[in-house]
Amino acid sequence: MIFNSLPFLIFASVFFLLYFQVRGRGRMWLILLAGYFFYGWWDWRFLSLIAFTTVMDFTLGLYIDRSENQTQRRAAVVVSIVMNLTFLGFFKYFNFFADSLATLVRSLGMEPSWTTLNIILPVGISFYTFQSLSYTVDVYRRKLPVERDFIKFAAFVSLFPQLMAGPIVRAYDLLPQMSEDKKFEWRRWNSGLGRVLWGFFKKVAIADSLAPFVDQIFAAPETFGSLHLLIGVVFYSFQIYCDFSGYSDIAIGLARMMGFRFPENFRTPYFSRSFSEFWTRWHISLSSWLRDYLYIPLGGNRQGVVKTYRNNMITMLLGGLWHGANWAFVFWGFLHGLYLILQRLVSPIWRSIVRVLRLPKFVDDGVCILAVYTLTLFAWIYFRAGSLGDASFKVANQVIMGILSGEQFSFGAIINKFQVLKGLLLIGILLTVEITNFRWNWNERQLWNPAWRMAAFAALLWLIAFFGTFGSNAFIYFQF
Amino acid sequence: MPLFTFNFNPYIMKHFIWYAAFLAMLFTGDRLAGWLLQRETMASQFRYSQLYSGRAGADLLLVGNSRGLTFYAPYIEQATGQSTCNLSYNGLPMDVANVLIQDYLEHYPAPKTLLLDITMCDRANNELLAGFAMYAPFSPRLSGLIQDSLPKMWGGNQFSHLTRFNNEIFQRALFHRRKSDKDWLLDRVISPKLVVEVAQHQYPLEVHPQLVAQLQVAVQAAQAKGVAVQLVISPYFPGFAQHVSNLDALKTAVEQATGLPVHDYRQALSDPGDFGDFMHPNRAGSIHYIDLLRKDGLLP
Repeated sequence: MIFNSLPFLIFASVFFLLYFQVRGRGRMWLILLAGYFFYGWWDWRFLSLIAFTTVMDFTLGLYIDRSENQTQRRAAVVVSIVMNLTFLGFFKYFNFFADSLATLVRSLGMEPSWTTLNIILPVGISFYTFQSLSYTVDVYRRKLPVERDFIKFAAFVSLFPQLMAGPIVRAYDLLPQMSEDKKFEWRRWNSGLGRVLWGFFKKVAIADSLAPFVDQIFAAPETFGSLHLLIGVVFYSFQIYCDFSGYSDIAIGLARMMGFRFPENFRTPYFSRSFSEFWTRWHISLSSWLRDYLYIPLGGNRQGVVKTYRNNMITMLLGGLWHGANWAFVFWGFLHGLYLILQRLVSPIWRSIVRVLRLPKFVDDGVCILAVYTLTLFAWIYFRAGSLGDASFKVANQVIMGILSGEQFSFGAIINKFQVLKGLLLIGILLTVEITNFRWNWNERQLWNPAWRMAAFAALLWLIAFFGTFGSNAFIYFQF
Repeated sequence: MPLFTFNFNPYIMKHFIWYAAFLAMLFTGDRLAGWLLQRETMASQFRYSQLYSGRAGADLLLVGNSRGLTFYAPYIEQATGQSTCNLSYNGLPMDVANVLIQDYLEHYPAPKTLLLDITMCDRANNELLAGFAMYAPFSPRLSGLIQDSLPKMWGGNQFSHLTRFNNEIFQRALFHRRKSDKDWLLDRVISPKLVVEVAQHQYPLEVHPQLVAQLQVAVQAAQAKGVAVQLVISPYFPGFAQHVSNLDALKTAVEQATGLPVHDYRQALSDPGDFGDFMHPNRAGSIHYIDLLRKDGLLP
């Protein structure tokens, strides 16, 4: 079930009607059943996968907690890690590695004789696997007390707002909240609803309006001029941002309406002045997960320059691979790893230039933001092409060469001028709201005054009606 | 503890009243904005706004998809001294064209000639049809077609009037608020890179019997009003026509359905500089094409 669909509207109405009428274990059962219904609407067969992961991690958590023997504890957490990553690896990467191996064998002049399986990728597996895995690891690290109530733990894994595409809410953030007795509060409700509406606007009005233009250029880049391609790539950067952060907004808003506090997943990432800052503002729940469970255990930045670079690169390569089974995603991760390394080299030089030339702060910030955005844009080209299978590198290179050629770099050469104008207008609205939000915090402001709230909610719904695309397009991050 | 409890205290009632007021405001605003946008749209000089506001009467009625934009009105009017109404649009399918033609014939004196590019029978285009929603209140035919083809969208349009203006046709109507759209044409020259690649490209034209039947209905309606109907295939880029599949099948189907000859100009232009891309003559190409139409007596 996807948020931008009529079935979800009916589902959410029934769910919230019941949610505040039941308390205690009844509410846990409701969350659990709702989560399984929500997920089963897409494909009920994969419910067994969530159920198995839940049972295993719950049992292993109990075992880790009970055991005083460090070897046994470590063995149990390793079993949890291997099990979760095996599921993820099998469903997400089996075909990828089998195909890559076949290509390698062919390049050596041999003909491989195995056949690949047609494996369906279960939606959200990357998210709930990481969420469940964080529980056993944190119990092992004694950061989190073990959960002895199975229904509560199962409800934590299957909490529907973040089940399909995050944010990845850690066990130590969410499990304690499961025990709270949440009463209905208008303030919380209105705050959550405001967030949900803003998320819908980003998804339905912005991301889905930009999508056709982007799809067109990646389908046949050779037929478009350089400005057309450049606009398409810029549009993609906003499409993916609005699509994913829109989903996060809806998830955070729905959770808030239920009484849960989810961590922020995006903080205006395209205003980042460095790549390390970018990764504290883009998909925060994943980047912080990778930092805490991969980068720091690898040694982080405490073991010298070379190992820091190595750890950066490993983390970003695996972060790229997490997004999808294609070398283009890995390359996207590689580019970001490279950016982080280069930043460490270039940053001191730039700081010296700023000091010597006495550049004002707005110039310093502007140059940095522009540089980070441009390089991010370059990496997005490979990321977008990653969903095109074998042709991904060819298409990405065609797009880049097309832009660099400078041919037909004029607005007159653009075929869909009205789509471009609409896209620019919507991006303008987004940036205006996000920039002014630093000062005015719109969602907080609407809580002060009911008239303000009415106007804001109505404006968002009118904008959605006027600009929205109503084909129930799935969220991009569902495929990850 | 009971499973369900309903506790309507004044504090809660206050919030419900606010939400009720919000819904009323939402509905009123939607209708008001819809009314304002409708008014702006109908005042536009865009072709369909003119058609549905009684300002489209002409001697020559020109209809096609994006290739119909080649019927370049400023030059036709200058060369023939006749007034024109071009109802062509990018991707216009024949079922929508049929509605537009019938609406025209119903509301205006019969034109002398109806010039029609038959490649509109290629495929249906519901995405474009959705864009005509803002004109549906002025045309029971259009309203019926949308209701039949896009029932969910039609329902949505009744629920929110603003959704009727969520499309490219509205944007064009706004763009042509004070500016005529008669010179609308793909005016560029095909890139040398594409010229070299002509053999590698193809266009899979489809023949849809139901769209051919719609063309037949439009032709019969025009003939019943005494209009001279001319059916054409407009020019393709030199050497590209053989990469357009089913063109002959379409021509035969149309000739059989209408009993009229289809004038075939697919290879009439041989200068690559006459084209914006493989499918569309540019301004220079259009002028050459119109000269040919006049020479052959299809236009006065």
